[in-house]
Amino acid sequence: MFVLASKVFSILLGAIVIAKSYVDFRSRLESLHMFLFWTLTWLLIIIVALFPGLVDLLLSAFGRERAGLGTFFGMAIVFLFFVVYRIYVKIEGMQQELTRTIQELALRDQWTANHRPEKRTLTPGAKPV
Amino acid sequence: MKSAPEQQKLVTVVIPAHNEAAAIGDVISRIPKTIERMQVVVIVVDDGSTDDTAQIARVFGAQVLRHVTNLGAGAATVTGLKAAQALNADVIVTIDADGQHDPEEIERLVQCLLEGPFDVVIGSRILSPQGMPLTRFVANLLLNALTFVAYRKIVSDSQSGFKVFSQAAANALDLRSAGYEICSEIIGEIYRKNLRYKSVPVKPIYTEYSRAKGQHFLNGVNLILGLLTRWVRHT
Repeated sequence: MFVLASKVFSILLGAIVIAKSYVDFRSRLESLHMFLFWTLTWLLIIIVALFPGLVDLLLSAFGRERAGLGTFFGMAIVFLFFVVYRIYVKIEGMQQELTRTIQELALRDQWTANHRPEKRTLTPGAKPV
Repeated sequence: MKSAPEQQKLVTVVIPAHNEAAAIGDVISRIPKTIERMQVVVIVVDDGSTDDTAQIARVFGAQVLRHVTNLGAGAATVTGLKAAQALNADVIVTIDADGQHDPEEIERLVQCLLEGPFDVVIGSRILSPQGMPLTRFVANLLLNALTFVAYRKIVSDSQSGFKVFSQAAANALDLRSAGYEICSEIIGEIYRKNLRYKSVPVKPIYTEYSRAKGQHFLNGVNLILGLLTRWVRHT
């Protein structure tokens, strides 16, 4: 029962991600590269969920070492953490860019010229606004 | 031959504000108009408010800068510091918009900076904790400890938004934080840039409003994550 539920769960999630990715691709919110990457990744996940025996076949192809599904999923978790880290770094970078852009917007249009209480000369070397 | 008249020195008071329409007017109106014969200019950085914070601030005579979207208290403070630097301000004060600090204490802190002389004066609620809720007191002590771990500098109130900077100190600061962790980052910059500083007791004012507007538990978690991120980057 649990095995069946896990299969249905994987297929459902995979279908949602692939459908969303396709819609985003058609709306030009997602590049072709990302659409292909996520579609292939989730197709692979669905295949492994439906036919877990394939993993044993794959692992046995690497030699006579004792390795099972646990090893495979361990590697998968490590890979996922790597992906999460990359996403985190990217979001952090984008957030900093966004912050700088909005700050520049706020300070733009000769704000200081219009709002200074009296004519003051900026000292040489003062940070540009 | 007549010498050119000496230019009046300038104190700018930077107030980062997000949805503070209920309190911002009172805070601005209580800021002294002159300090030690220096002109005082109030800069409110409206951090993407959805209420009338900006309009009310203008009515009360503040110069208003506006972030088109909410970035966080840290980013708003940095914007205000940049604006003050562009005005060539001689002294820069930062103060919270929620009425948690008494604006009438600005004069005392500025005097302390000038008489020290110091580069930074920190208004410390911990040195005068009467009226401070115990949970806030303990939380601040924990964040002081975390700031020490991240930046090797212990101060009595690392999370105080009430600070006074000299022009040189403001120019020296290199701040990257967008959120509340900027308070700790400033402490780190004081340490890195070897700035002279002093903690001065200030009266904490905790009303129902300021308690509701203050840092929440989730902000605390964000703050810890932000500090850890910056700590990892700096080590």
